[in-house]
Amino acid sequence: MIMRPSETYSFRANLLIIWSEVVKNVKFLLAYPVIFVFWTIFPFFWFIPFIFQGQAFVGGLQSASFEQFAGTPDYIPFIVIGAILNGYVLTSLYGVGESIRREAYRGTLDYLLSSPCNKAFILIGKAMSESINGTMYAAIQFVVGILFFGIELTIDTIMPIVLIIFLLILGLYGISLMLAAVSLQFKQAHDLAHTLEYVFYVFTPVRYPLQSLPFWAQVLGKFLPLTYALVAVRSIMLLKQDVLAIYQEIFLLLVVDIALIFLGFYLFNWMEKRTKSSGTISHY
Amino acid sequence: MKRKDEEFRESRKILCPYGFTLANLKAEMRAIWESNVKEWKIELTYPISFTRQCIEPLIFLLPFIIYGLVLVGGRYSESLMHLVGTGDIVTYIFTGYIIMGFIGTSVWAMGFSIRKEQWYGTLESIYVTPTSRISLVLGMALHSVVHQGIAVLFEFSVIYAIFGLALKIEGILPALVIFALMMFALCGFGIFVSSLALILKEGWIISEGLYSVLMILSPVAYPLTVLPNIAQQMSKVFPTAPALIGMRSFLIENYTPEVIGNVFLHLLALDLAWIIFGIVIFSVTDIYVRKRGTLGKY
Amino acid sequence: MLGPNGAGKTTLVKCLSTILIPDEGTAIINGFDIRKQTTLVRASLGMVIGGERTLYWKLTARDNLLYFASLYKMPRKKIKERVDELLGKMNLLDRADERLEDYSTGMRQKVAIARALLHDPSILLLDEPTLGLDPTFSRQIRNQIRELSKKEGKTVLLATHYMEEADELCDRIAIINEGKIVAADTPDRLKAMVKETELVEVICYNPPQNAEKYLESLCPDVEIITLVRGEEAKGTPSRIKLIGGNAEKRIGTVVDALRKKNTQIISLNISVPTLEDVFIKLTGAKLTEGGRGTSQ
Repeated sequence: MIMRPSETYSFRANLLIIWSEVVKNVKFLLAYPVIFVFWTIFPFFWFIPFIFQGQAFVGGLQSASFEQFAGTPDYIPFIVIGAILNGYVLTSLYGVGESIRREAYRGTLDYLLSSPCNKAFILIGKAMSESINGTMYAAIQFVVGILFFGIELTIDTIMPIVLIIFLLILGLYGISLMLAAVSLQFKQAHDLAHTLEYVFYVFTPVRYPLQSLPFWAQVLGKFLPLTYALVAVRSIMLLKQDVLAIYQEIFLLLVVDIALIFLGFYLFNWMEKRTKSSGTISHY
Repeated sequence: MKRKDEEFRESRKILCPYGFTLANLKAEMRAIWESNVKEWKIELTYPISFTRQCIEPLIFLLPFIIYGLVLVGGRYSESLMHLVGTGDIVTYIFTGYIIMGFIGTSVWAMGFSIRKEQWYGTLESIYVTPTSRISLVLGMALHSVVHQGIAVLFEFSVIYAIFGLALKIEGILPALVIFALMMFALCGFGIFVSSLALILKEGWIISEGLYSVLMILSPVAYPLTVLPNIAQQMSKVFPTAPALIGMRSFLIENYTPEVIGNVFLHLLALDLAWIIFGIVIFSVTDIYVRKRGTLGKY
Repeated sequence: MLGPNGAGKTTLVKCLSTILIPDEGTAIINGFDIRKQTTLVRASLGMVIGGERTLYWKLTARDNLLYFASLYKMPRKKIKERVDELLGKMNLLDRADERLEDYSTGMRQKVAIARALLHDPSILLLDEPTLGLDPTFSRQIRNQIRELSKKEGKTVLLATHYMEEADELCDRIAIINEGKIVAADTPDRLKAMVKETELVEVICYNPPQNAEKYLESLCPDVEIITLVRGEEAKGTPSRIKLIGGNAEKRIGTVVDALRKKNTQIISLNISVPTLEDVFIKLTGAKLTEGGRGTSQ
């Protein structure tokens, strides 16, 4: 069936693009089950040293000093939650953010970009499939965290946590779009992805409370969606607060999300036009 | 008067030395050096990537220090003092973390050296030269060691400027000797990992996995005694644990090693074991890959 | 070695260069066994395989050659001079210090050839050295190969599927198909296997459907009949070739048969056999694929 020109830009057509990308990327993941197992298991390996470090430095499973910053003396569940949510950042940066580079490497980028659709929807499709992957990993990791690392989860906390994770994913989409936009013009996208990872690594409360950083670092951290997501989820799970108590974090997360998504779309469309006119679009 | 092998080579019009001769050894050493130079030339065409990789170890070190300071409420830990005789968490973590980049040399730079040449498209071209394949892997290792050295100097400067470090100057030389012994064993380990990367499609998972395991089993940010017993026993198989214990003994005042034993003998034994193991596995894998015909495939 | 894609030429080159271990048998290169004396075999060979991606694009031509010279364990004092000599020979001296990523495909291939010559080996293995090159560079590369063989006396084993290249350059040709050598001899003796009088070509418009089967039924003693359909809308005629079995004597039968089917015959000639004809006679298949010589 040949689509009439007016149909190629319809909402339905764009949804189909997103769905096709999701299916393609999930099939790709299933063709490499080792990768699935890796991303499920290895976040634990990355935070286990912090658990042993804690035991060596405080001689137990709780720290009074830690409680002054974090509101809870239990540093292990604190770190576990940080590692699980940080997984979304990694799948965003290295999954979506490098998607353009991988398409160029496979030789399919020219064909993608010469298609009549809005390319941002292709990226949204890629981002959604990475989010599906990330959520599968996170779900398994949460179960392991509950069984072995002292995380507590009750029925009434599940929906707020799902909402917060959803908002986190939205904000990461915006960052992924910006990264993909830059990678159209500058071929060293993996360097930029790594640099962004460093920013998240140091300036977000993945392993330590934000208040333990100098003031300027805290300000930088507040521009990142992961900061609000972590504070909100930990407030619910560790400090046993309800959703109303964290309305400020949720609101600020939403504001950051909107700003990042808007910037992401704008930058991507601008870069696409620029690279098309310079003719460097598929150089790898 | 020409030697017999020189006459033989002349008769067959072969320029290069071969076999167990001094000339061949010199040629292999030169190939290692030139592989290192080649990697530097390529890397410096990506200045942003080079700069980032020099800063990266510091980025990954900072959370360990900040986290430690938050846990303890300051620089000094009573618990650590009871375990190893020193409570200065910043110096303790720094002296442990400096080897992390060199673990990366083993599992990534060496482990992925063959894969990297496959990615460049040059693997078959270098494989048809008379230079030993292991020399090519060692060339990549040399490049990485120098690279990490630069990163460590940068790390040291920043950490010293922000936090200060309490290190014994007279301990630096023996610590470097221990470091060198550790690197020999890590080279053997790296040759082993490079052979895995040759046959496994997703070799990066192996490298990342081994890096993570070594990180846990090495007393980078905590003494070995906090690990479960089985993990403590496993750590003896890798050179990083005895090396770190030995280096800290020389570098940190009042440091009490958590494991009794002769670090030098332990490391020498590991050197021998890992180098032999690595070369054997590499040779077997090389034959396997050449029989299957998958050498040039990425 | 002349043969279509997938015949086994590259596999053989890789076995000889010790990249691949053969399942059975061995070969002797410069007196050395490829299974047991791999280092000496590699020291005796220069190889061009895999095209332009076998060099470091982020390095200059000079840096590439200097590096490989060290891998070939050349005496240190001779390396620089040798590299300059080869760059001069390839007419690349003025661009020697530019990165390979800024070179054209043909220039990179020249650097690949220079690399194979660094240690002045007596034997060269060249696997499709002109693949993907434009006519100008192809001509230059072929001239280089001719010089290496005739003037410098090197043994050159050339793997190619371009019959003109093999015909022009080679003293002896081995025709390979499906991993076997089906014939090996000088080009003239190979072409003599398809005698002049046995090769007839009919150029025509509107050949009948199933022309090959139709003519085979009328001329059972002609060994091979092939049809290459032209794009008649663009004015390109079709070509029917009859090979072997007194084809010349069957001309009358063929012409009558075609005219009955309203085929318009433009010309009829007795062709000079090419290596492709030899290949077709020996294997029953076409040497080349794609636009050249596809059957219907």
